[in-house]
Amino acid sequence: MRALYTSATGMAAQELNVQVISNNIANMRTTGYKKQRAAFQDLIYDHVRRVGSQASDQGTILPVGIDIGGGVKTVGTPRLMTQGNLSPTGNDLDIAIRGEGFFKIQMPDGTYAYTRDGSFMMDAQGRVVTAQGNPVQPTLTIPQNSSQITINPQGQLTVLLPGSSTPTLVGQIGLTRFINKAGLQPIGDNLFTDTPASGTPQDGVANTDGFGDMQQGNLEQANVEVVTEISDLIAAQRAYEMNAKVISAVDQMLQSTNGMFR
Amino acid sequence: MENMLLVGLSRQMTLERQLDVVANNVANINTTGFKADRSLFEEYLRSPAHEDNFMHADRRVSFVHDRATFHDFAPGPSEQTKNPLDISIDGKGFLVVQTPAGERYTRDGNLQINNQGQLVTQSGYPVLGNSGPIVFQQTDKQINIATDGNITVLEGTNRIDSVRGKLRVVSFADPQKLVKEGSNLFAAGQGIAAQPDTTSRVNQGFIEKSNVNSVHEMSRLIEITRTYTKIASMLQQQHDLHRTAIEKLADVPA
Repeated sequence: MRALYTSATGMAAQELNVQVISNNIANMRTTGYKKQRAAFQDLIYDHVRRVGSQASDQGTILPVGIDIGGGVKTVGTPRLMTQGNLSPTGNDLDIAIRGEGFFKIQMPDGTYAYTRDGSFMMDAQGRVVTAQGNPVQPTLTIPQNSSQITINPQGQLTVLLPGSSTPTLVGQIGLTRFINKAGLQPIGDNLFTDTPASGTPQDGVANTDGFGDMQQGNLEQANVEVVTEISDLIAAQRAYEMNAKVISAVDQMLQSTNGMFR
Repeated sequence: MENMLLVGLSRQMTLERQLDVVANNVANINTTGFKADRSLFEEYLRSPAHEDNFMHADRRVSFVHDRATFHDFAPGPSEQTKNPLDISIDGKGFLVVQTPAGERYTRDGNLQINNQGQLVTQSGYPVLGNSGPIVFQQTDKQINIATDGNITVLEGTNRIDSVRGKLRVVSFADPQKLVKEGSNLFAAGQGIAAQPDTTSRVNQGFIEKSNVNSVHEMSRLIEITRTYTKIASMLQQQHDLHRTAIEKLADVPA
């Protein structure tokens, strides 16, 4: 019976759906997290009787055919790249991007990764780094004894040096954008890497050419909405149960066939 | 003599097929833009046996076989996702998708942008506008899809919207003739023309969920298993009848 395997694909798909939802809920307080959603498609059909085939030599055709589907497949878990809410933190080196763009981070192996998580810190050399200690690009080094770190919407970082009353420009934090940001690959630690699907990274300056602006002292919250996740979870759980029900129905039918003519 | 067995078998085979259809519906209960299938059965009359010496004409034996599955094109519920690249179609329309095998049609409005900036489905096939694929530029932001399918964006620092194309929404005089191809796509056979649809409305930020009704499917499932079991026990009774008859009639008195 095909139904057994069809329902198995349904159960597998819903299991993955619950996995995606649970990851969203687990990350609902993760800075810069973008929620994922499992996307499903139906599998190929067995055309037992093809619609539109000739029913007679008089040219009459079948108005409907017999198509038996083979179940469901997961086609992807695309990320929803919408803006998350900003929450003020008051920390000088917390930056939220309002609009398009990612921060560019240099990884220890020299490659670049991208993130929306702007909770930066200073390391021992005064560089602006992520929580893992990887420097933000272009690398900015804040001089010792400087005070009043200010980051303007364009990403320019200025400080007040001792004995000076005018701010000194340290550098400008850049942004990077992708034509298909849903095609970025997550590598954990709130970081993404570019892929052939995302397109080549386009570096630029905040608040110009469609890039978003930077908000100092704010962090971008996850764009997970609890109500949506919970209702999706209920739907996934029920769908799983229903597929299991079909499997037990098949089992029951096979059992009654087995019990015949004893 | 064995007609009962064969008639019962014909019903059990159609029930199995009907269960396959139900299983596929239930498996796709969370598939965006999925349209449920229904089974249709018809009576198949076998011509009676002829012989001139028969006292009465033989009775015709009626079998059952499945005639068709048809698509239920009722709209599925819309779910708000707030994703600018999610669209649901309010009405009978379909989106047109360019696949290597030709144009295909879908109700699945869960769209993406690929690395060339084209608007594509989850499978990566371009969604067609009135003048070919819809292509976005690197600096586009705030994608807006109007209810008539017109797609506008804010390009770079512009304050005025730039048009990126208009979604081609089509409908069919007889959508039952569409063939499901999997991957949420429908194919139109020869001579089935897609008509431009101006009455359907496109809703941005929504997706159309599967139109599978879980209560219907579950009650259908119960009906199928019960009927199947009932036929099985009926065939068992028939079998017992035969056995008893043979035992009694062929019983050699001691």
